[in-house]
Amino acid sequence: MVLLSPALLVLAVVTLAPFAFLLLTSLTPLNLARPGTWWDFSRPLANFVELPGDSRFLNSLGVQLRLSVFTVAAQLLLGLGAALLLNRDSRVLEAIRALFIIPMVLPPIIVAIIWKVLFTPDISMLNWGLGLLRLPQPAWLADPRLALPALVVADVWEWFPFTMLMLLAALKMMPAEPLEAARIDGAGPWQVFRHVVLPLLRPAIVVTVLFRLIESVKAFPLIFIMTGGGPGTVTEATNYYAFLQGFTYSLLGFSAAISVVVLATTFLVSYLIVSWAGARVDVE
Amino acid sequence: MSSKSKGARAVARRRLGPVLTHGASALLLAATLFPVLWLVQMSFKTDVEAMRVPPTVFFVPTLDNYAAVFQGKFARSFVNSLVVSVLTTLTSMLLGVPAAYALSRASFGRSRGLALWVLSTRMAPPIAFAIPFFLTYRWLGLIDTVLGLLVIYLTFNLSLVMWMMRTFFDGIPRSLEEAAAIDGAGPLQAFARITLPLSGPGLATTAIFCFVFAWNDFFYALVLTRSQALMAPVAIVNFMNYEGWEWGRIGAAATMIMLPVLAFALTVRRYLIRGLTAGALKG
Repeated sequence: MVLLSPALLVLAVVTLAPFAFLLLTSLTPLNLARPGTWWDFSRPLANFVELPGDSRFLNSLGVQLRLSVFTVAAQLLLGLGAALLLNRDSRVLEAIRALFIIPMVLPPIIVAIIWKVLFTPDISMLNWGLGLLRLPQPAWLADPRLALPALVVADVWEWFPFTMLMLLAALKMMPAEPLEAARIDGAGPWQVFRHVVLPLLRPAIVVTVLFRLIESVKAFPLIFIMTGGGPGTVTEATNYYAFLQGFTYSLLGFSAAISVVVLATTFLVSYLIVSWAGARVDVE
Repeated sequence: MSSKSKGARAVARRRLGPVLTHGASALLLAATLFPVLWLVQMSFKTDVEAMRVPPTVFFVPTLDNYAAVFQGKFARSFVNSLVVSVLTTLTSMLLGVPAAYALSRASFGRSRGLALWVLSTRMAPPIAFAIPFFLTYRWLGLIDTVLGLLVIYLTFNLSLVMWMMRTFFDGIPRSLEEAAAIDGAGPLQAFARITLPLSGPGLATTAIFCFVFAWNDFFYALVLTRSQALMAPVAIVNFMNYEGWEWGRIGAAATMIMLPVLAFALTVRRYLIRGLTAGALKG
């Protein structure tokens, strides 16, 4: 207990206390520009009542949903493809696998800058290439139709190595017998994949997807650097909206209410992961 | 005859398969790493050179951007980032390693609850922590201080240490400590003399994870610092001003920020999944 209690005490102070404080703040109209709003609990649920009617909040939920669904789907497909490709014992492939981790360990701000460079027409290698092919060269991040897809591309690039590594680990631990049995029975590569490999991968896929879904809420640096939520509010995801309300407009009470909603969702998905992972998967 | 050619074809396919796999993998890797290399080459170009169309592949590299970055405010932010990341790593390890040991050796039935706690603090959107910490720091005068950042980084690093080190300690057999106890060592002695030295790789890996998570943070540094405790990832944003982006300097600063992370990450890549999913798997 001597060993454990200092850490648990600190952990409680830095995690549980802020949660409680956040919850309390969300019940106040706290506005840093107006001094009387600090401990004003006269209308505790006002922020939460306001949320469903706030069109910018609803828009941000839609943006977040699209961002999450598209990035996670693409990461899963690309990661699965890459995992199947790299799932072979060879020294060279091992070295290649190791280098694939680079995008996901880079500081997120650097990832954002890398893609800002590639999507800025003045300096974009991408646009130059499109020009050579006589294709239109759009101003990606300034175009309301292309800004969100551009963010999706950057996010998929950053995190598909994660899905790849998770699925590779699952492939490595897959028992050989069912695969061989299917082959002996005359199944082609596609049939083996569809009817044997995929069902065996399912638990790993579920956990990986849940993980990425939660983390997809953290695309903040990408949005901050690449689009600033724009053009208009096209890329203003919920977290970014909460940031603007809290730290640009100083409406910390309202921002806290948005955060509570996001946090509750996160907690729910975390719970699902722990139940799922604890029960069925043992990925290392 | 036909069976022979069939056999030859099968052999050819067996030889071709690996070649195709390797070729496709190398191609995918090249495509994946291209954006990073593009940023790095930009750091060796003047801004005029960087904007040239078509882009130049062969050019006279210049170190001017690095020189400029070293002289400006960025150099100080780089040192700040180093100091904060190292201090937060030390603090998390000092608090977390003994706790992880206790968790590993005492048989708690409720490790699931702890897993959920660890996971949700790691998964929580940063804004949820940023608001209460910002308000508290305003009151305590900790805005824009190294100490303030150090403490908020404990929110994710302490639970990470407890979780990762616990799995490492679980892998070290208890019998070694029991043998030490028979020789008259107390529990603390057994821990310090037997278990700790055996968990060297685990300690190093965990420390690297702590460092990288602190080093990579952008959001907390953005919200909780102004100028005194400016961190490198926020300082780099200063090169993007109203007159335009200083491409070369952005490239140089970005390259410097990613170097330590790349060096560290490639050394602990075997444990990467464990660190990134800490708390959820092996529950």
